[in-house]
Amino acid sequence: MADPTAEFFSSLEQRGPDLLPVKARGTIRFDLAGPDGGVKHWFVSVNRGNVLVSHEYRQADCVVSTDRELFDRLAVGEVQVVAAYNRNDVTIQGNLPLLLMFRRAFPAPPGTRDPRDRVRERLRRRDDLQGRVRPANRILPGDRECRQ
Amino acid sequence: MKALVSILDGNTFVVSDSRGDIDPSPTFPTGLFSFDTRFLSKWELTVNGERLNALSVDDLQYFESQFFLVPGEPTHYIDAKLSIIRHRTVGGSFVEQLSILNHEEKQVEVMVRLNVESDFADLFEIKDVQEKVGTTTALVEDGRLRLRYQRDTFRRESIITSSAPAEYDETGLTFALRIGPHQQWETTLRVETLVEGAGGRDIRLSIQRHRSRTREEMRQDLDDWLARAPRLNTDNEALTETYERSLIDLAALRYSPLATSDRLPAAGLPWFMTLFGRDSLITCLQSLPFTPELTRPTLRYLAMAQGVTLDDFRDREPGKIMHEIRYGESTAFEEQPHSPYFGSADSTPLFVILLDEYERWTGDVELVAELEHEARAALAWIDRYGDLLGNGYVWFERRNLRNGLENQCWKDSWDAISYADGRLPTYPRATCELQGYAYDAKIRGARLARLVWNDPNYADRLEREAAGLKERFNRDFWVADGEYYALALDTEGGQVDALSSNIGHLLWSGIVDDDKAAKVAEHLLGPRLFSGWGVRTLAQGAGRYNPIGYHVGTVWPFDNSLIAWGLRRYGFRQESGRIAEAMIDAGKYFGGRLPEAFAGYERALTKYPVQYPTACSPQAWSTGTPMLLIRTLLGLEPHGEHLVVDPAMPEGMGRMELLDIPGRWGLIDAFGRGRAEHMGSTRRGTD
Amino acid sequence: MKRMASILDGNTFMLSDGCGDVDPSPDYPAGLFAWDTRLLSKWVLTIDGERLHALSIDDLQYFELRFFLVPGEPTHYVDAKTSVIRHRSLGGSFEERLTVLNHRDESVVLTLRMEVGCDFADVFDAREARPRPGRTVTTVEDGRLRLCYQRNRHVAETIVSSSEPADVDENGLTFRIELGAHGQWSTTLQAIGVIQGAGGRDVRESLRGYTQNRPEKRWELGEWVARAPRLTCDSEALEDSYQRSLIDLASLQYVGVTSQVKLTATGLPWYMTLFGRHSLITGLQTLPFLPEIARSALWVLSLLQGGRIDDFRDEEPGKIVHEIRYGELGGFEEGPHTTYYGAADTTPLFLILLDEYERWTGDADTVRLLEYEARSALAWLDTYGDLVGDGYLWYERRSSSGLDNQGWKDSPDAISYADGRLPGNPRATCELQGYAYDARMRAARLARTFWNDPAYADRLQQQAADLRARFNRDFWIDDGEFYALALDAEGGQVDALASNMGHLLWSGIVDESRAGAVAAHLLGDRLFSGWGVRTLSRDHSRYNPIGYHTGAIWPFDNSIIALGLRRYGFDEHAARLATTMIEVSGYFGGRLPEAFAGYDRARTRYPVQYPRACSPHCSSAGTPLMLLRSLLGLRPHHGHLTIDPAIPEELGRIELIDIPGRWGRTDAFGRGREHLRRR
Repeated sequence: MADPTAEFFSSLEQRGPDLLPVKARGTIRFDLAGPDGGVKHWFVSVNRGNVLVSHEYRQADCVVSTDRELFDRLAVGEVQVVAAYNRNDVTIQGNLPLLLMFRRAFPAPPGTRDPRDRVRERLRRRDDLQGRVRPANRILPGDRECRQ
Repeated sequence: MKALVSILDGNTFVVSDSRGDIDPSPTFPTGLFSFDTRFLSKWELTVNGERLNALSVDDLQYFESQFFLVPGEPTHYIDAKLSIIRHRTVGGSFVEQLSILNHEEKQVEVMVRLNVESDFADLFEIKDVQEKVGTTTALVEDGRLRLRYQRDTFRRESIITSSAPAEYDETGLTFALRIGPHQQWETTLRVETLVEGAGGRDIRLSIQRHRSRTREEMRQDLDDWLARAPRLNTDNEALTETYERSLIDLAALRYSPLATSDRLPAAGLPWFMTLFGRDSLITCLQSLPFTPELTRPTLRYLAMAQGVTLDDFRDREPGKIMHEIRYGESTAFEEQPHSPYFGSADSTPLFVILLDEYERWTGDVELVAELEHEARAALAWIDRYGDLLGNGYVWFERRNLRNGLENQCWKDSWDAISYADGRLPTYPRATCELQGYAYDAKIRGARLARLVWNDPNYADRLEREAAGLKERFNRDFWVADGEYYALALDTEGGQVDALSSNIGHLLWSGIVDDDKAAKVAEHLLGPRLFSGWGVRTLAQGAGRYNPIGYHVGTVWPFDNSLIAWGLRRYGFRQESGRIAEAMIDAGKYFGGRLPEAFAGYERALTKYPVQYPTACSPQAWSTGTPMLLIRTLLGLEPHGEHLVVDPAMPEGMGRMELLDIPGRWGLIDAFGRGRAEHMGSTRRGTD
Repeated sequence: MKRMASILDGNTFMLSDGCGDVDPSPDYPAGLFAWDTRLLSKWVLTIDGERLHALSIDDLQYFELRFFLVPGEPTHYVDAKTSVIRHRSLGGSFEERLTVLNHRDESVVLTLRMEVGCDFADVFDAREARPRPGRTVTTVEDGRLRLCYQRNRHVAETIVSSSEPADVDENGLTFRIELGAHGQWSTTLQAIGVIQGAGGRDVRESLRGYTQNRPEKRWELGEWVARAPRLTCDSEALEDSYQRSLIDLASLQYVGVTSQVKLTATGLPWYMTLFGRHSLITGLQTLPFLPEIARSALWVLSLLQGGRIDDFRDEEPGKIVHEIRYGELGGFEEGPHTTYYGAADTTPLFLILLDEYERWTGDADTVRLLEYEARSALAWLDTYGDLVGDGYLWYERRSSSGLDNQGWKDSPDAISYADGRLPGNPRATCELQGYAYDARMRAARLARTFWNDPAYADRLQQQAADLRARFNRDFWIDDGEFYALALDAEGGQVDALASNMGHLLWSGIVDESRAGAVAAHLLGDRLFSGWGVRTLSRDHSRYNPIGYHTGAIWPFDNSIIALGLRRYGFDEHAARLATTMIEVSGYFGGRLPEAFAGYDRARTRYPVQYPRACSPHCSSAGTPLMLLRSLLGLRPHHGHLTIDPAIPEELGRIELIDIPGRWGRTDAFGRGREHLRRR
């Protein structure tokens, strides 16, 4: 992946409505420092689930500062934002609740599988091995909706 | 301070930590004690080599308690798989039922070890650490461990046995156990204490009371005791609690000294588990309307032990009532004078006072007749040996200079009697309350002489002497500029001018001139003496004042009960109620059990009354305090064959009923309820 | 166990011994803690080199405490000539006013020394005594002692200062003081803990309401108690425990995450942080009394709702959080607890509380505002919650340092067969199914009334009805006549008899025809000890009267069971349970602990303490409140409060005045009766 941060933000406008609560409303600015010291800004405006992304440098309800390398890892789900905040790798100023809601936009860690698949496969293998047949009415179709 | 758990039965008691273990302590009386000797100084249980930790302690009765324990330090995340219950009783001997519960679903192997040791220390050696002269040996016999102490002919012995098979060695017992899943194992451990007399017999065997009693017998005995006492119904929960606690504690403190099978009140756990003349007399005075059965044996025993000859080591004189009796090694070898010791100047007049008060409640003239000789000897002592200077006051000065008491009144610590500026007076000293007691003893003695001894001339003489004493006293002791009575007179007849709680006793004795009483009452409830929790022993501002000083600033519940009684005698109904209320309040914070003393800090400074370090608890005359306060609140006074009830209860106290009060009238009830006293008329004439 | 003395203020607490001293303890959380980090691990006072001994302790308020001390071991015959008063309080910083009193009639020179040290342990370190990777530096500057701990960008700092001049060295403060005859001397020591955010600012500064001084706190406590309904009753134990509970609940409020809401910390000393489950249950318990607790819980848990699949944190979209922590370990991902999601019951409980909250308060705005979160939670029940795909709610941990059991009984051995074997994973405990049923029933009401989605409501009701039918078939153990504790991965019954069954009554999932048998079990000898309902039947293989979840008695568990018994009309059973719990609280000074031992009552005179149980504990503090609700039979009904008392004779009269709700304020009265309904 060339630029995970850019991909994260560029897909945000499309993913946002599904991911963010209706009550999430406000602006978040991400100040990402490069190795050279230059700072790149991402300006995210959230309103009833709708998301707009730009590079504006404007006053925001919440300002998140970190370095670009760390944000790349956040963008692919390798790092969790609250833990990084607790060890001071990320600074957050302003409306923390807004960021906590925005947290839903970060993806699962790379390689994460749906836990249901893991469990159901395992049970199926065991059933096969023991020749067990689960009563049909015990298995419901289940809602296959899954956000990764 | 570590939390300690005590159980007791008379002068046999066990003090352990909250897990039931006794760790050897040379300076604090933890252990199993009987007759002033420590029979166990170590009693330490381990399971698989680990010490145990307490989950909780059930104090079932004063003579039994139960510990719930787990091995090792409990942690939050790991459940203990074993629990241990120790259920112990004292009643003659010490019995501990040990149960080990396996909570696992498999069989476990458990190594249980009980380490046992005794130093046979005399209680006095613990106050004041000394090397033992005799030798201790441990003998392992068939199915028992014997610990023996011998010094010449003086022998003490502890015998430890277990109902379940054990491996005995010289330092304890080991049990190698296998306990099945969810099963439990039990054994009963028993420690017999032997106080050997000549011929190897336990000298206590002569006393029927000293045979071991079972838990059931003891429970029955306690139930009977409680059933005999008047029943209290009141809106005030703190008062109910402290009354019930007091009855039980008083039951716990009953013990039989050698030479009688009657039961008398011992003074206090753990330091004073023996008979003190003063303490037992005052406890009886306090509890007479409730548990009169204690008084008769107390008077008889003290009469029997009355001094007949002079003895400087024991501060003994003819007619004097004893101060303290002990049975330990140091007393036996005359290193201590307590066989018995006579160093108190107040027990003799108090003896006569109790005798009279006893007759007024019970109508038992036979005892008054029986003790005529002793009572007259006591009255004679007041004028003869009591009046060291020959000027008509009661004085004291010790003759035993090695370990006699410097102050021979109730405030008997060395620095208790001082001038306002802190200097100590010379000897002999005449403290004020002694004069009050002497006055009261003469007045009461006169009544008995007229009523029972048939000697009206003697009665007239006593009354004359009393009147003279009262007149002199009000002249010599009154500190004119402070408007209170001096704490004492010094040898030169000068006033020891500290303001102290002792002046409250004077009201009780009736020696206070009517025109001086209001000032005395004002001082007692003024800011210098009254802390809000009670009357301090010594006024704030005095040179030696110390809010945590034993007799120089702390508040003593028993002292306050006598003061409240005295205030009522002079008609200070509201003031008396205030003291009663403060004491009942304080009792609440000690779980209904008033300690010997608590700190004299201002009430505003402390949310709770502050405990006095190592105060004795329970303490007999603190136990008697709620009883005397109830008497005072209800205004109970025998008049002829009748009981007069004249309640004076503070408004907030609600209703009070005391049912089945025993006395010469049979059983009678008293009722009262709190009401506001009219302002400005707190004093309603002499009661 | 040594006697400990604690003061607390939300998630800040100071735990010392009975003399006020803190000795270093690598494996126990003694000391000053804030935000899961220890800020003082040594705090020892000496006079002339001697340690002090306590005469007494005044617990003034939950945030302040006073010790009366004397030097040396007190002895009977020697009066102490010096006494010391240590008066400490929390409110932003930790303050200790030392007053030394000279009782001599002459002046005296004394050396007073406070030993100070800090290991900056994370609360999890304090549990397991791990080595610390960071570096601690101690410096003395301007008469202040500065202890500073650094690990990468994580910086925690404690600054100790004194109002009177002191000789400060790296290990503490020394005062040489001269006291006149009967004189006294005082100084105020202050310890300020700073947990630095990036840029050196204290992260907590941004939280309004974080720093408060003592008078403000006293005022706030007064307000809090005044807002709650007033209780007058004949039972002193009930009145005590009610008052104690209100105060303990106040003490556990803290400002964290965001300044808009106060959160409820769970229990001293181990759980001084937010737990999803306990804040929801406490919210339920306290709704008729202090509805703001429920509102805050809903608000903050919606913020922290799971957003992605994260195996390390057992997180999934829509799931409600289990636990949050602020300490170093979470920050450095040595533990998942920064936000850990390993609980399967929090999500349905969130929905239940949301509905119950609206029924009491009429606050429809909150229900509308949280529609998205509520729907996500419902979706979680259908998706990730149903791991096996058979319509039940299951759990199985994925996190290496997560919890094996993700119901409220979350210790590793809590879920077992009667013979002691542990079932395979995943597991579906019975009470989870009850919660899921109740959550759907309640959500259907919300969907119909507030979300304007009757079709969704119908679907939820249909699902709930199906679940109830299946549940009563699959979980019911015919020969034992009770519900299985759980289903194992094969769908077999985990056949232990446990208190979980009582929650089923509360949820309403129990068939009417079976309720009688369930109630009989709950108050039968196997579960009911005489002091309460045990977590596990006493004849089971893993039963242990002092087992955390395998025999101990939990007050909050009993409060839910009592409410469940009333729901099914077992008024007498409910009253009996309520009465014994109130009795128990009397033995703990009005303060019910997290749990206590399950020994038979005949065996113990008092309830036996569970080793190191948390106390105060939020949902134990909530217990007397829920019991009151159960005794008075309070239920919101079409905008009104209905009252249907079921009070046993021995409790006498109960009046609860000014109960807040959508009706404004209303009163409830009830009095004990000899005969209560037994169904």
